[in-house]
Amino acid sequence: MKKRLYIELENCIGCRSCLAACTQCGGHEERNRNYVYDVNPLVNRQTMPLMCLHCVNPACARSCPAQAIQIHETGAVLSALVEKCIGCQNCTIACPYGIPKFDTEQNLMYKCDLCIDRTKDGIPPMCASVCPTNTLQWLTEVEIEAKQKQFNLDNGKWVTSMPYLENETNVKVNLPGILQGVTKLF
Amino acid sequence: MQRDKFFKEIENLQHPNETLVKTHCSYCGMQCGMNLRVDTRSNKIIGVEPRYDWPVNVGKMCPKGVTAYQQTNHDDRILKPLIRDDKSLKGTTKGFREASWDEAYDLIATNFQKLQQAYGKDSLSVFSGVSMTNEKCYLTGKFARVALGTRYIDYNGRFCMSSAAGGFLRSFGVDRGSTLPWTDLHETDCLFIAGSNTAECHPTSMFRVWHVQERGGYLIVADPRETPIARRADVHLDLRPGTDLALANGILNLLIENGHVDEEFVNNHTNGFEETKELVKQFTPEYTSEITGVAPEKIIRAAEIYGKAPNAVVMFARGIEQQHKGVDNVSAYTNMALITGKIGRPKSGVATFTGQGNGQGGREHGQKSDLLPGYRKLTNPQHVKEVCEFWGITEEEMPQPGVSAYEMFELMDQKVIRGLYLLCSNPAVSAPNSNFVRKALKDLDFMVCSDFYLSESAEFADVILPAVTWSEDEGTVTNLEGRIIKINKAQEPLGESKPDWQIQVELAERLGRGKYFSHLKTAKDVADEFRAATKGGYADYSGATWDKIEKQDGVFWPCKSEDDEGTPHMFLDKKFYHPDGKAKICALPYRPPAEEPDEEYPLRLTTGRVVYHYLSGNQTRRIQFLRDMCPEPYIEIHPETAAKYDIEHEELVRLYTRRGEAMFKVKIIEAIRKDTVFVPYHFGHDQSINLLTNPALDPISRMPEFKACAAQIEKSIKKVH
Repeated sequence: MKKRLYIELENCIGCRSCLAACTQCGGHEERNRNYVYDVNPLVNRQTMPLMCLHCVNPACARSCPAQAIQIHETGAVLSALVEKCIGCQNCTIACPYGIPKFDTEQNLMYKCDLCIDRTKDGIPPMCASVCPTNTLQWLTEVEIEAKQKQFNLDNGKWVTSMPYLENETNVKVNLPGILQGVTKLF
Repeated sequence: MQRDKFFKEIENLQHPNETLVKTHCSYCGMQCGMNLRVDTRSNKIIGVEPRYDWPVNVGKMCPKGVTAYQQTNHDDRILKPLIRDDKSLKGTTKGFREASWDEAYDLIATNFQKLQQAYGKDSLSVFSGVSMTNEKCYLTGKFARVALGTRYIDYNGRFCMSSAAGGFLRSFGVDRGSTLPWTDLHETDCLFIAGSNTAECHPTSMFRVWHVQERGGYLIVADPRETPIARRADVHLDLRPGTDLALANGILNLLIENGHVDEEFVNNHTNGFEETKELVKQFTPEYTSEITGVAPEKIIRAAEIYGKAPNAVVMFARGIEQQHKGVDNVSAYTNMALITGKIGRPKSGVATFTGQGNGQGGREHGQKSDLLPGYRKLTNPQHVKEVCEFWGITEEEMPQPGVSAYEMFELMDQKVIRGLYLLCSNPAVSAPNSNFVRKALKDLDFMVCSDFYLSESAEFADVILPAVTWSEDEGTVTNLEGRIIKINKAQEPLGESKPDWQIQVELAERLGRGKYFSHLKTAKDVADEFRAATKGGYADYSGATWDKIEKQDGVFWPCKSEDDEGTPHMFLDKKFYHPDGKAKICALPYRPPAEEPDEEYPLRLTTGRVVYHYLSGNQTRRIQFLRDMCPEPYIEIHPETAAKYDIEHEELVRLYTRRGEAMFKVKIIEAIRKDTVFVPYHFGHDQSINLLTNPALDPISRMPEFKACAAQIEKSIKKVH
């Protein structure tokens, strides 16, 4: 069954295990490809991961003049093909989340490929495998539907999939928060 | 073993030319399951792959765990024995030359024998640690008593777990760090967590913690800082460092007043309720608030939630334990479970977050100054008799109990102890009052250090022996649940390094004590002797065979025979381990921290950890990813306090106490009390916060008060206006 990356931002504790694990995926040349931010570092310890959302119609690929960014049949938006990338960095500007990273030495863009070596065979990506807080989860469509019902989202839509952002994304992000609507046991 | 809701059947990614070796992390008490990726052509560890089927962490790892494998083939590994002939270079990394094992052993044996002939058997000491297997911990105790014949052995658990041990022994009559398995935690209705920065120190517990809230359960956190776990707590009890005992008494008083006492349980299974009730009466919310600085309504709310919760788990860690009343704090928080009867059943109980990988097992089997294998006591003649018979020595040969870790440095200073064999520990960073400790190490007549990296403590050694990392040997470890697990070997020892058990066997032979050690030729030999040695002790491991550990996903002690499956839940029969079978509710009068703020030192200094580093940082500071994430210590300070001192974010300030001083970069954050500053402790040399900490010891556990002392800040560079 198809699975997706699902993100519950409020669980994040800022351990950056996802970044450490990203370097451990065989195809990643030991470079991490996503971000974890301190939301308000002088005030509190809230952090959040910023992961590639693997848009269905991704701005990075649309903006690429060399068609170096391919979309895998699973929906994963892959890292730039080494032989095609011309290093123009259009993608890093086009992406509303600033996901693609740029290697100035190799003149090459690199980005999250959702651990395609793993996810093409149904094995969870490294980030979601290790995330100790379940901020990053690897869920079936059914499990994601259950989440959607549980959290009573605006217009029934995930915030990241709103038209003013990038429309449909393969990765689902829970906003505004996972404890919304939870009834206390006593 | 039962699988919980987080368990999913997932296959691992298998790369070509690689094998996966199932094992556990080298670091904290969680002992997360992991697979090490081993290249079949070079036979070297090259990476990590999640171990999805390990029930405790189901594949999850923290950043330390993910990068742990990078220790094994690290450039900083010591590959040969090192000898330093010029004693004037002690306390530096200079002057070491490579030597053969033979030369190193000869030098050690000669010096140890010379010291013992001149100053007596007890002029030697052993200082060890619990980031190593049960087998090594056991053999280290035997090595000290049988090969060296010294009374002076103790270990770094005195800076870690000893207060939890002391508190549990007093309350329950038994010291198993958790009364229930971790796979229960997410199913409880209330977690009351005191003095644990769980998100940073035991991150792989967090998915269970958050799940309690997702189910509609409650999270209560007591901590002077709004840590990542406190940020989401239903109630954050933001107490002054060192005032836990008042808070626990205050909550106990409310639980009693509001009718949350389980009278049937208290009457039948406990002692001490009436005098405790009498004592805590004075701890009204207002009085408790006066001492702790926590608003009365928060204390009332916390007591209400814990009292009403059908099931609840009280948990704590170094925050409450590293105080000069750490044992009292443990018993006081444990009282909450005992008076409400929320213990001795699934989903309810008491647990400490064990810090070191084998903090539980390592304290049970004879590395502690007064203990023998199986948690037997050196002060109990029957226990001594049993162990002497097992080891084949006479009772006269068994040394007397020694002194605790910090007190050993005092004896070094007094020249009672003149020689040291240090292994698996880095007290030059981790002990309090470092100026004193480092001088004591420097003034030793002879010091041997066994480690796989040249630690800050190894800088004081005359001989350094290259030990293996955890992944180059096998054996058992007891995790924070009390679950005995198996560490597997993934690679042959790098260079000429050897496991510590082998070093001890070979050294014993040089010292003429081979007949007690020479039969131990493999890690399995040590394991078999170790299990047999624990038989009949209350930490009985005799039934925990390696096969059973493999088959059952670990074995919870006690496990007394081959047929015994072990004991995941303690006290299900409501029988405690005191002679009358009852638990003890303790009446504990409040004592303030040993050093309270005054005019000269108006701030409260507390210390702790960051998610990227483990203990003294000797391992994690060498791992690139972890060093990049946290390269240096810092001082956390509230913006209002910073303004008073006219200091700004990222400015360098001088922090000082009655014992020492250091310079730290300022990190301004509102998530800390205004009267408190915080510095993480993982750093060495002049970056070490333990230069400043207070060695005031707990009367029972001999735990120093790392968590509270009085300090002052000085702006280092005056502003030019």
